[in-house]
Amino acid sequence: MSSPMDELSFAASAALSVGIELELQLVRPHDLDLSRDAADLLRRLEKRKLPGAVKPEITESMIELNSSVHTGCLALLEELETLRKAVVHEAGVLNVRIAGGGSHPFHDWADRRIYPNERFMHVVERYGYLAKQFTVFGQHIHIGCPSGDQAVFLTHLLTRYVPHFIALSAASPFYQGEDTSFQSSRLTAVSAFPLSGHMPFVADWSEFLEYFARMQGFGIAASMKDFYWDIRPKPEYGTIEIRVCDTPLTVRRAGLLAAYAQALAAWHLEERPLQPSRTTYLVNSHNRFEACRYGLRGTMIDPYASLKKAIGEDILETAARIAPYAARLGCGGLLEELAAGVRAGESDAAWLRRRHAARGSLADVVRDACSRWEQSM
Amino acid sequence: MMEVEFLPRLPLAFSQAALFGALVLVGLAAGEALRRYAALPRITGYVLAGAALGPQALGLISDNMLFDLRTLVDLSVGLIVFELGFRLDLKWLRLNRWLLAAAIAEALLSFATIFAVLIGFDFRPVLAAMAAAIGTATSPAVVILVVHDLRAQGQITERLLLFTAVNSVFAYVLLTLLLPFLHLEQQASWLQAVLHPLYLLWGSLVAGWLACILMLRLAAWLGKSEERQFILMVSMVVVSVGVAHALKLSVSLALITLGVAARNLDRGYAVLPVHFGHGSQLFFVILFVLVGASLEFSAFTVAAAAPVAAFVLVRFLSKGVALYAFGPLSGIRPSGAGLITLALVPLSGSAVVMVRDTTSLYPSFGRELAAVVLSAVVILELVGPLATQFALRRAGEAHPDG
Repeated sequence: MSSPMDELSFAASAALSVGIELELQLVRPHDLDLSRDAADLLRRLEKRKLPGAVKPEITESMIELNSSVHTGCLALLEELETLRKAVVHEAGVLNVRIAGGGSHPFHDWADRRIYPNERFMHVVERYGYLAKQFTVFGQHIHIGCPSGDQAVFLTHLLTRYVPHFIALSAASPFYQGEDTSFQSSRLTAVSAFPLSGHMPFVADWSEFLEYFARMQGFGIAASMKDFYWDIRPKPEYGTIEIRVCDTPLTVRRAGLLAAYAQALAAWHLEERPLQPSRTTYLVNSHNRFEACRYGLRGTMIDPYASLKKAIGEDILETAARIAPYAARLGCGGLLEELAAGVRAGESDAAWLRRRHAARGSLADVVRDACSRWEQSM
Repeated sequence: MMEVEFLPRLPLAFSQAALFGALVLVGLAAGEALRRYAALPRITGYVLAGAALGPQALGLISDNMLFDLRTLVDLSVGLIVFELGFRLDLKWLRLNRWLLAAAIAEALLSFATIFAVLIGFDFRPVLAAMAAAIGTATSPAVVILVVHDLRAQGQITERLLLFTAVNSVFAYVLLTLLLPFLHLEQQASWLQAVLHPLYLLWGSLVAGWLACILMLRLAAWLGKSEERQFILMVSMVVVSVGVAHALKLSVSLALITLGVAARNLDRGYAVLPVHFGHGSQLFFVILFVLVGASLEFSAFTVAAAAPVAAFVLVRFLSKGVALYAFGPLSGIRPSGAGLITLALVPLSGSAVVMVRDTTSLYPSFGRELAAVVLSAVVILELVGPLATQFALRRAGEAHPDG
């Protein structure tokens, strides 16, 4: 086994390469509650030759799709679609349905059962009921960095855009059978963990290693996996990992979010228009809350311009600025599609609420979300 | 001595409600005691309590009482069979053809082998066929109750419910179709021989289907409130049981039709996924107490021992063969086939009801059938719940507190 410090040696990867992880809900058709068929589904998927990977997650009601590493988001999307089809097909054989979305609208967390593997059992032992409550579903976006220093730099810069990613992906308006009034209620489940929040304001990778060594010395953290930060460096992959997104209701939207992250990173790494600033972390909790609560209509403080503006508006300005980078990376169309959605005020959370209003029950919302995920893009 | 008018006269006249409550209480206590002190399933406790109180032991429940409480049995069976039907997703069978193959093979093979064995024991073909049809079905009541009790969920549980639904429908239909032969053997008229099964089959299907249409309409009108829809469902089941009874149709067939139709015809999703919850537990307890009281221990005779043993064994083996042949193809884990086979062991308690029906039709015929079937029921009613519970626990699908 490798020592924790080996884990921290930064495995350089191609700058701006991109990959994503999507946590998905397994739903049983007869009552639309979460099922617990992850193990049987994974066993079936193992037998198929698939790109990327499909993995277990903390409870038996979830699985996680991992893409492989890509240079462009169109290829990423194509691969995700292949994975999606395979998962939907195999789930059908087991009479299980699949849905995106950041939370299951009405499942009872106490009913969840932990996926039986060593790491998850350890999480339960440590965190108790938080582990079962952690049955929420997120999208993680990885952006490749050639060095640890760049990873630290990019983590600091992208923190300014955390509210963007939250608002763009928000898809968890319902939780425990209630409308939470939030656009994304999922992040509240993450915030309960003691090592959630954000990376400390370190200047570079060596300072980060010092920080990590101290935390280890205190016995607070054993590995990088213990940090549930919004954005965290992932040295073993040579990436930074944006972790604030809800899993969208469609594969397509997951691809749009990846394209946005990639173009944003390209702009910051190549043009270096901004430098890390402590002010970002001063306004971060406020911005994050606004995005969770109000989505695109929330207001955020721009830490660099010290201005207050609507999150949607800030996204559109940013999209215009990074458009040339998106075009160069071959995902100009995806970025434009994302921006058009923002202009129209669209979000997955709003879609879910509309379904609820039209149908009248949360079970129907889940069924519609399953149908949406199961459709080809 | 002064006459005291307000005091009750002896012996006390208890209403059926009091009897109902008392039986549930006794069953409840026995079930809990068995679970706590013997780690046995609660059902076994209900059945044993019933058997102890029944006409063949203490005699506190008399044959007359059993007859009077027949409505309760019908009602309980109706609720259970409805729930089973309501869980049967035909879409799954469409998406997973091997599963359909497994379900059909399981039913056909069970029927064919039990039939062959009974013929081998020189039973008359009609008798053998009817006993085989009854033997094909797994007990919906035991399966549903164990699943509730353990709060089991997962692939093995879902498939157990599906196979149970399919083999029950198979048995109900087959029994109905066998009726003409029974009539003819008993020198009934051709007209009766042909019309009776047609009436039973189509009557029950149409009754269930009409009830479903009415329920879907009402559900759409009532809106998406779990409370209102719960009342709707329970009252619909009660009415359907009553109507089926009054029309002399098959309660089981009508109610499973209602359930399957409600699940699969509800295109607009008017019906909410309602959980029957604690209310239905009441009916489960009384059902099994009454089943226990109806167990015919006297059916055991030395002569019947060999065919009964063969019946039980062949039934188990043929379910196993079908599941080992088709189970893996239908996407189940390798250990799954054996576990489902084990879980399918409970023989339908409503076999007792079916036998009763035939008995009332042709008394002498019923008694012959009874010897074999009722002995098997006694065995499997006691062993079955254990087998199902063990299988679901072993599959890791029981809730830790279940």
